[in-house]
Amino acid sequence: MRISWLVAQRELLERIKTRSFISMAIVGPLLVLLITYILFVLGGNDKSNWKVLIADPANIMEAKILANNNGSISYDFANNYVQLEEFENGKRFQKYDVLIEVNEKILINKTAYLFYREKPNFSTSMTMQFQLERRLEEVLAERFTKMTVQDYRRIKQPLTVGFRNLYDPKNESTTLDSWVGFFFGGLILFFILLFGMTILRSVSSEKSNRIVEVLLASVKPRQLMLGKIAGIGIAAIIQLGLWIIIVSFGLFVIRETLFPDMLDASKWDVAKMAKEVQNMTFQQQLNRSYGYNSFVELIYDRIQFDNMLFYFLIFLVAGYIFYGTFFAALGATSGSENDGQQFIIPIVLLLLIALWAGYYVLNNPESSLSFWFSMLPFTSPMVCMVKLAQGYNPGEGYQLFVSFGILVISSLLTLRIAGRLYTNGILQFGHRLRLNQFVKWLRNG
Amino acid sequence: MEILQLENITKSFFQKIAVDDVSLSLKEGEIFGLLGPNGAGKTTLIRIINRIVTPEKGIVRFKGDMMTGKSLAQIGYLPEERGLYKTMTVYDQAMFLGRLRRMSKSDVNSSLNFWLDKFEIGSWKNKRIEELSKGMAQKVQFICAILHQPNLLILDEPFSGFDPVNVELIQNELISMKNDGKTILLSSHNMKSVEDICDRAALIHQSKKILDGQVVDIREERKDGRFAIKFKGNMLGFANALWAGFELVEHIEHGNNRHTAYVKLRGENTFQDLLKVLLGQIEIESAWEVLPSMQQIFIDLVKRTA
Repeated sequence: MRISWLVAQRELLERIKTRSFISMAIVGPLLVLLITYILFVLGGNDKSNWKVLIADPANIMEAKILANNNGSISYDFANNYVQLEEFENGKRFQKYDVLIEVNEKILINKTAYLFYREKPNFSTSMTMQFQLERRLEEVLAERFTKMTVQDYRRIKQPLTVGFRNLYDPKNESTTLDSWVGFFFGGLILFFILLFGMTILRSVSSEKSNRIVEVLLASVKPRQLMLGKIAGIGIAAIIQLGLWIIIVSFGLFVIRETLFPDMLDASKWDVAKMAKEVQNMTFQQQLNRSYGYNSFVELIYDRIQFDNMLFYFLIFLVAGYIFYGTFFAALGATSGSENDGQQFIIPIVLLLLIALWAGYYVLNNPESSLSFWFSMLPFTSPMVCMVKLAQGYNPGEGYQLFVSFGILVISSLLTLRIAGRLYTNGILQFGHRLRLNQFVKWLRNG
Repeated sequence: MEILQLENITKSFFQKIAVDDVSLSLKEGEIFGLLGPNGAGKTTLIRIINRIVTPEKGIVRFKGDMMTGKSLAQIGYLPEERGLYKTMTVYDQAMFLGRLRRMSKSDVNSSLNFWLDKFEIGSWKNKRIEELSKGMAQKVQFICAILHQPNLLILDEPFSGFDPVNVELIQNELISMKNDGKTILLSSHNMKSVEDICDRAALIHQSKKILDGQVVDIREERKDGRFAIKFKGNMLGFANALWAGFELVEHIEHGNNRHTAYVKLRGENTFQDLLKVLLGQIEIESAWEVLPSMQQIFIDLVKRTA
């Protein structure tokens, strides 16, 4: 263990001293922030006016929604049930773009459904969700508590809004929360690929510069492989930690400086607003601010970060070890630094399948294929993040632990198999890697 | 006392035998040469000693006990295919390799300083390997192999790539280590070095050991009774001086009336008798008994068993 740790330390130091590591740690998250900013600045208005009908038969919202309507979205209320077919074809509903169904169950399950004729863009979706949720907070705080809305917001459960196509209402929900899961899963795959390639390069360069034989006189091949995977893995986690810190801080800074929370009543300057309210730029800003702040709120409040980050980390580590062993074995068995390139394709293909599986589960959370994707170690690091964000059905929470268990056992198994390939291949130089060699080296224990 | 014993070592790779029933033993404080043509199995044997490769059959003993992972801390290894991390400094490299050999940080530090000073390369300490020339990097590799003051040092082709000055430097260092009681196993194609510094040697050919013994004895056993006389004078005079008791077998003319003649003794005649008959006839510059070179023995044996 001590020896593996020494190898890991060396790898770690070598990684974090490189310029590419430092630039990735800074440029990567800045790029994420820039894309987020552009998404909200440029992607603000795809359609200038959205007419929304809120079907509220129980009159929960009392025909009120945020007092300062921002202009691009206007709301009407119906105090009766509106059938989807009726909304789809009825003449009097044709002027509405969106139907939001708020029934009495919302007080219990905190879920509302939004049916659209044409899909609103991200910013508009967020604004609708934000406005609906704010009004519901007021109602809930007033009806069921003696708290102020501000206090209630601190303890409330988030509202889930299922965005569904009116013409395909059975389609399973792809809520924003699920996309957050997809983002996390994608991040795992991205880091596996990025640092898996680092493992591959590191092993093959040790082979090509022949230091490996000097090392093998003091280190067992498996120790060397483990140390290498661990060192590069720690570098990956440090990189990721920097990303999270910079992105979180950046989002906060953007919120405080570029998109101040105009909806927070405590910050309103009534006199100033009266002047500015006529101004179109102010209206646009307000609109963006709605979208952005709901997004930031989603990041800060809606995601159960302690929970999500914990599972994200353990799936990242297990998934990284699982795939990392393939990269290490490939590096050890290749005859030259470029030799392993062709064999990367199957691994990258597996990662792409995992990405696709995540998207599939996003859209089909209840299908049996989704279940199997969540169990397969190749796809589970991605799929489990999506499923976790979607929320496991009551009584099915154990599936997450089964998936993780399978992933850990598979990782141990691949460590063993890769260790054998590593041991047999690491001192073979100058050959062209062929598939039958893998089989030979696997058999030769 | 024997420091290393190999007993009936056999190893094959995918049905191809690399080492076939080889037994060897190395005594403390000797330099042992491991000779053999390319592909004979020398490197595999060395890897077995270093526990990089596991033999199918046979036992490796270190200081009388079974070789274990811990024994490796007393072994230094400089492989034929050697390298260093190019972006690391000499100091970091030595620290990493020394720590892998279970040395403490302060031990690595003091040992590294000692060797850098000894080789007069103290200024390289904080240089990255990629900044050094090939010869400089080889010196660093050698230092890394002996940093932990191993009792047994295994060198696979240590002189390849070195210039003559550095070959001498390394040879002198090996002799000095031997005088300090260290044992050195040397695998080399450089037969001159083997003759010069090895006490004993073994020849591996086609995976088998075909010769083993003291270098002097090996050469003595294969001598063919020839003596060489280097002289100044007339070659005819030299030939006339020889009578029936001697046979002139070869003659090399160096110019300026200088020659080297190779002579075999006949009957009961001795080297002294030969010198006696030549004295006064020619001006003898030097005379010696011709022993076959290790290179000649190596080639003869390999050809014979081919």
